[in-house]
Amino acid sequence: MSLPATTAPADAPGAAAWARALVKTYGSGPTAVHALDGVDIDFAAGKFTAIMGPSGSGKSTLMHCMAGLDTATSGTVMVGAKEIGRMKQRELTRLRRTDLGFIFQSFNLIPTLTAAENITLPLDIARRPVDRAWFDEVVAAVGLGDRLKHKPDELSGGQQQRVACARALVSRPAVVFADEPTGNLDSHSAGEVLAFLRRSVEDLGQTVVMVTHDPRSASYAHRVVFLADGRIAGDIADPTHETILEALAGLAPDA
Amino acid sequence: MLRVALRGIRSHFVRFALAVLAVALGVAFVAGTYSLRAILASTFDGIVDGAAAGQAYLRGTDDGTASMDEFGGTSTRERIPATLADDVADVPGVASAIPDYSGALVLVGADGAAVSTSGAPSAGIGLFPDDPSLTLIDGELPERGEIALETGALEASGLQVGDQTTVVIRDAIEQVTVSGELDFGTSAAGAILVGLDPEVAAELYAPEGTVSTIAVFAEDGVSETELRDALAERLAGTPGLEVITGEVLREEFGEQIDMVLGFIQVFLLTFAAVSVFVGAFLITNTFAMSVRERMREFAMLRAVGASPGQVFVSILVQALVIGLLGSVVGIAAGLGLAAGLAALLGNFGMELSGSVELSTDTVVVSLLIGIVVSVVAAAIPARRAALTPPVVAMRGDAPSERGLRLRGIVGAVLAVVGGALVAYAGLAKTVEGDAVDGAGTFLGIGAALLVVGVLVLAPSLARPAVTALAAPVVAGAKPLGALARGNVVRNPRRTASTAGALMIGMTLVSAASIVAASATTSIESMISSDLKADFLVQGPAVLPGPVLEGIEELDSARLVDPISFGITTLPDAKDPTTVVGVSDTLFTESIAAKVHEGDVASIADGEVLVTRDFAEDQGWVLGDTIPLGPDGDEVRIGGIVTVQALFAQVFIPQALFDDVIPAGQGQLAAVFVTAADGVTPDALRADLAEVVKPYYVLSVLDADDLVDRLAGQINGMLAVIYALLGLSVVIAVLGIVNTLALSIIERTREIALLRAVGLGRLQLAGMVAIESVLTAVFGTILGVGVGVGIATALPAVLADSGLTDLVIPWGTLLGMVVLAAIIGLFASLWPAWRATRQPVLQGLAAE
Repeated sequence: MSLPATTAPADAPGAAAWARALVKTYGSGPTAVHALDGVDIDFAAGKFTAIMGPSGSGKSTLMHCMAGLDTATSGTVMVGAKEIGRMKQRELTRLRRTDLGFIFQSFNLIPTLTAAENITLPLDIARRPVDRAWFDEVVAAVGLGDRLKHKPDELSGGQQQRVACARALVSRPAVVFADEPTGNLDSHSAGEVLAFLRRSVEDLGQTVVMVTHDPRSASYAHRVVFLADGRIAGDIADPTHETILEALAGLAPDA
Repeated sequence: MLRVALRGIRSHFVRFALAVLAVALGVAFVAGTYSLRAILASTFDGIVDGAAAGQAYLRGTDDGTASMDEFGGTSTRERIPATLADDVADVPGVASAIPDYSGALVLVGADGAAVSTSGAPSAGIGLFPDDPSLTLIDGELPERGEIALETGALEASGLQVGDQTTVVIRDAIEQVTVSGELDFGTSAAGAILVGLDPEVAAELYAPEGTVSTIAVFAEDGVSETELRDALAERLAGTPGLEVITGEVLREEFGEQIDMVLGFIQVFLLTFAAVSVFVGAFLITNTFAMSVRERMREFAMLRAVGASPGQVFVSILVQALVIGLLGSVVGIAAGLGLAAGLAALLGNFGMELSGSVELSTDTVVVSLLIGIVVSVVAAAIPARRAALTPPVVAMRGDAPSERGLRLRGIVGAVLAVVGGALVAYAGLAKTVEGDAVDGAGTFLGIGAALLVVGVLVLAPSLARPAVTALAAPVVAGAKPLGALARGNVVRNPRRTASTAGALMIGMTLVSAASIVAASATTSIESMISSDLKADFLVQGPAVLPGPVLEGIEELDSARLVDPISFGITTLPDAKDPTTVVGVSDTLFTESIAAKVHEGDVASIADGEVLVTRDFAEDQGWVLGDTIPLGPDGDEVRIGGIVTVQALFAQVFIPQALFDDVIPAGQGQLAAVFVTAADGVTPDALRADLAEVVKPYYVLSVLDADDLVDRLAGQINGMLAVIYALLGLSVVIAVLGIVNTLALSIIERTREIALLRAVGLGRLQLAGMVAIESVLTAVFGTILGVGVGVGIATALPAVLADSGLTDLVIPWGTLLGMVVLAAIIGLFASLWPAWRATRQPVLQGLAAE
């Protein structure tokens, strides 16, 4: 089943973050590489969206541009009501600490801080008070109540990723960006983390965008967007493992 | 593999540049020390050659009886008749024979003040026209009423040929005209050399017709030994006379100078050793971090077939290159350092004739030190890299820190033993309440053990100490304080070795400042308790006799107590004994003496007082008699005393002194004066000032003046120590910069993560600054603690030398901690800037 690329509306009601005509070019002239080649996309608030695509498809670049970690060559990126493209470094930093949450594939935690300190790090950096009730709710949801005083090297890989998830959520960000959050985990731990991300959307009302190359991980999402060669190459709602595999097959170079 | 090693250096240029700088600083110290010594040696060699330009010398034999020479020093040689010069003039091969008519002299400069020399002598010399070492540059040789000045003296005085000025020689104040400018063919090294008419010089410096040496110059073609033999033949049978070649005398001078230079060199090399030691710390750190960071690279090399030996050697090759580069840079910097120090000495009036030259010795020693230290320091991390299995390294697990337990125990044992020795030296007392025998040795060994122990123990101390230090920052600057603390304590070894550099320097500074403060206070309390007279009149050398007469004539002075110094040889004593002639009332009225036995008033009965130390050495007790009377008559010991104000062993009545010490060898050293009833001290001071005014260099001091003068000398010495330690602080700063920069490279991912979750650039810089300050303050507090610990024991050990009070200058010590914080802040600037420039995204991707 091959799906046509959707054209999102110019304004995006209900979108936590969206991009229009997003282009990211590395280099110039004949050797220029278009990592993103005119991407229009909306990430609906209160939804868990997965971005998939083969290596070099631009999925990580898309996330980095959406998250203000990288600057697009052209196009518009909005997070909430804020346009990222116009922001200075200082404003981007503030945006990341208050409006965005991050989960990376590995090395998510500061080794010298305890789990609790890692979780509240963005709030501490922003010098904002910790909402205790929300903190407890998040910690309970990731199931780390008895591990808060431990340092990262005393936690398993799965536990470390769950601490990272809690940290991403603690400031109630507009969007949580997760970059291959389960890439380094065994399937059992990966399942726990993904289930938690889904729960954080359904029970806690968060918005999560996850980059992954693993169809099983993507099947936890409400929606999967496929990227190939810097363009949107597909979009399926309420995916299953099978529908994802089919879509991926359709993305094969000869298709 | 060689190519891999060299590429490694090129691709990690900044990191290796820091290591090169570390080596360079250490080597600069060594090279600078050596070349400064070479400059000093060549200057002094020139002086020696100039001072002993003759081919042969006549002098008295060494009969072991001590006397005071013309400059106030001690000589054990008999003086010889100056007329011997005429006797040998017709010996075959003799061109000229010049008796040494020389002695102390005060020259008044163009500004009307005495020309000061900052330590070098100011001397008058009888000039003979047939002295071949003498060159007249300008004007005429001096006649009676004239002087000629050596070029350096002419410059220092601001006088010109033809000017009128004043010279003071002993009691005589002479108005003279500058007749000419002289050159003795060598640098005077800051000494003021004044040429006099030989007859005038003979009257002044050889009133009894005797001189210390006669220089004999040979005719062309006559060797030194031939000349000596000819002279010896002619003079055979003259008792108490010795004929030596010029070479022998020059060697004797040279040995004395080498001793002094050796002392200076030991002092400088101590600082060089500290900096090399610190440099080694830096190199080990650099390699430890670079090895850790490149574990994957090494693993890859191992995986493609490199042997552990090859990995090891490739790291050592890098160390070799760094050592070589650092040494070369260091040698150049060292020459600059030596030139700077030489210029500094020149500013203080000590012109050095030798120029800064690169000697083979300097190059070899510097290269060896730089390279050996680098390679040895890199060997430990290199071994670790070589022995790590490829798979472990590929996994990227940082090799775990080895346990600190053993190191902590060893350090604690060393520190406790050292501390116990220091405490023993400071607290243990003999029954009389004095320091125990060998207390100084215990203190020295204890201090060394304590410093080494604390260095070894430092990693174990780092966690608790830094945690405590960081507490206010952690609470005040969330979350930066906690992040910074975590970074500092996460690798206690590295923190400890970085802080160690500062610790060593700060230990020395704090100990020195405590000693200085204690010495100043001790002097103050000693003077205020011991000086009972209103004023002390003294000069840089001998007081002229007319000054004493002038003071005695003053109506405003109630009490005038002169003291005279002389040197004599007692039959049983090993060394020459300093004898002080005192008036009857000196110890009862003018200065205080601590009386252990007997009575100071016994001086008035013609008896003598002996210091307790000397009495113990000689085995004398109260009531014994010693042969100090005229013609060796026995005199009774009337008291055993301690007099801190005067460095002497025996005090005898002035009348006896005049009998025992030959005329011209006893020196009137000082006069204590107390105001008459109804006369204010200020009025007396004004009268005294009038009396000493014609002599230019004499001063009238009350207790406060004396304290100021002595404290000034102490502070002067302290300034030299501070200046040298300033350089070790530079190295310490470099160490902190190095460690921070490397640890930031190491933490690239972590920093990127912090930035990704919203840490601002300023906050990041703040975190790095806090890390830096914590490390610097940690090292300083360790150093100050050790320094205070060692220095508190010093007064007990040095009480006999007059260090009686212990004063800990808390203000200064606190200042040092504040300074450390500033140093830390300063050191963090560049690493923090680099950290904030690291792009977030690349950092996240970095492995």
